[in-house]
Amino acid sequence: MRAGAFLAGLRRLGGEDLSALLALAVFAVLPAFVEEWRLAEFAIFFIYGLFAASQMFIWGHCGVLSLGQAVFFGVGAYGMSTLTLGMIPGLEGVTSTWLGLLFAAALSAGLAFLLGWFLFSAPRLQGAFFGIVMLAVAFIAERLAINWDFLGGLNGLMNVPPINLGLNGDGAEIWESLPVYYIALGVLAVVAALLRRVIASSFGTVLLAIRERDYRTRALGYDIIRYRVLAFTLAGGVAGLAGALFVTQFGFASPALIGFALSAEVLIWVAVGGRQSLVAAILGAVLVRALESGLSAQLGDYWLLFLGAVFVAVVLLLPRGVIGEAIHLAGRGLGRLSSGHDTDQ
Amino acid sequence: MDQLAIYFLDAANYVLILVLVALGLAIVFGLMGVINMAHGEFMMLGAYAVMVTDRHGGSYWLGLLLAPLAVGVVGFLIEEAVIRRIYARVLDTILASWGISLMLKQGIVLIFGPGSYSMATPIAGNVLVFGAPYPVFRLFIMGVSLAAVAFTFWMFFATRFGLAARAVIANRAMAGCLGINTRRLDRLTFTYGAMLAGLAGAVMAPLISLDPQMGLGFLVPAFLSILVGGLGSILGPLAGAATVGVTDNLIATLYSPVWAQLVVFAVVVVLIRLFPSGLAARRRREL
Repeated sequence: MRAGAFLAGLRRLGGEDLSALLALAVFAVLPAFVEEWRLAEFAIFFIYGLFAASQMFIWGHCGVLSLGQAVFFGVGAYGMSTLTLGMIPGLEGVTSTWLGLLFAAALSAGLAFLLGWFLFSAPRLQGAFFGIVMLAVAFIAERLAINWDFLGGLNGLMNVPPINLGLNGDGAEIWESLPVYYIALGVLAVVAALLRRVIASSFGTVLLAIRERDYRTRALGYDIIRYRVLAFTLAGGVAGLAGALFVTQFGFASPALIGFALSAEVLIWVAVGGRQSLVAAILGAVLVRALESGLSAQLGDYWLLFLGAVFVAVVLLLPRGVIGEAIHLAGRGLGRLSSGHDTDQ
Repeated sequence: MDQLAIYFLDAANYVLILVLVALGLAIVFGLMGVINMAHGEFMMLGAYAVMVTDRHGGSYWLGLLLAPLAVGVVGFLIEEAVIRRIYARVLDTILASWGISLMLKQGIVLIFGPGSYSMATPIAGNVLVFGAPYPVFRLFIMGVSLAAVAFTFWMFFATRFGLAARAVIANRAMAGCLGINTRRLDRLTFTYGAMLAGLAGAVMAPLISLDPQMGLGFLVPAFLSILVGGLGSILGPLAGAATVGVTDNLIATLYSPVWAQLVVFAVVVVLIRLFPSGLAARRRREL
């Protein structure tokens, strides 16, 4: 049983890496086939994919269901906006994109670290209750963003500058669709590859063990709280980076980025794509958004109804998610093919 | 003195509604292990049901009677179609009921549009309470909530159904072995929880603006009430709702209503962290 599961895991690994490369190849040549304005849209979808990767890591891989992951996306977005707009007291002169990205990711990671450190050490605040507390945190964050004049209130912060190659925001600005598209795709690919390494590392294996049997892992001598806090911090940092990149392209940070609605959306992308596979989760975000943008003209308000129904169906029937299931089946087919090949020889 | 009386009544009003919403959630969770994220939308459905009855020539009173029944039917159907397939998978109940909540919200948007509705108050006029003029209708809401909460407690602590339900809460497998039909009980419980939410939405519909997003504003404080009060006890939500409601009103009166909810939620998150088994459970242990 265990060996079987292990083998299946190995095969899925093959299928997953393969599908990741395939997807990357498709997206790399996509600009040759679609109109220019679509590219800007896809760049945003890739950033949502990055956000989905953060949710997949903490939920799918670590088994920590966070119902308020958008808090970190939003903090990253506001962090980036305030810095590059020169709004931070004492740092008005610093408007570097690079420092902004660093600042946003660090701010989100720091917040995730504090929240994780505060919440994970409560023995009964796990599983569903942690999720609900994070929902409350998202609610608080959204209210804070709406009511805090420094952050622009309900209107948010406008005219956030695009990515600037100069060291301190004084170089060339990148706002054309094609470079923006490749930058988003590149960041997504690099971060996803790094997360993949983390998942496959011994650190990632311990996280998996904690997800499956936390008390046994503790009995083996692992400080499970520390591991969880670190994983949550990492996920927060990635979400913050996604938020920061988002505002450089969207040009606008608003309370909608930090609250309940986006937290729910990222959960749906990851569940529908596949929470147990990084590629599936990322593709889930990209495809759901691409479908939404393509179909919303025809479906209108029915789209959300449809998406909700798909979400419920996936939770009931397809725990691997739609794309995850496809990758799984492809991987199994691959495995059967290769083993059939062996017997031929 | 007048100010104090009004403050006290407003706080009691909010607390009672919160108890009504939280009680449904707590029963469903305690008995079935289901975290129902669509509970706020059940409330929304109750409120819209009253509004529709009112618009189509019926009265508020007829709506108040019909709304819990209609929402109960919806809850029954959802239990049959979705919830019963994911018992014992707590995290999945969150996700599935969240999906349902999205669908209910969107369904309302499709039928009634995204805008908000309001209703006329069915009872006008004020009475003097402790020397302060207070709207009769608000007293009526308090009465209805109190009656529903009392009825729920009576049902759980003084009837055979309640005995069976408490047995299932204490030990589901053992209760099943003793011949209690747990499946039937689950169905009833979920339906009853939905009815409570429907009633809460219906009774206060004239006081609030009805829009598709209204559920969340009640769901989150109700959840926090349960967590703060402690699970595993039907009394928990009472203590929790009192904590959340009274602090909320206090800050809203003394400082500003905008920041009240924010501060209360933050304080409650801290409280949940510091007393993870709940305030009510803690006091009981000390006794």
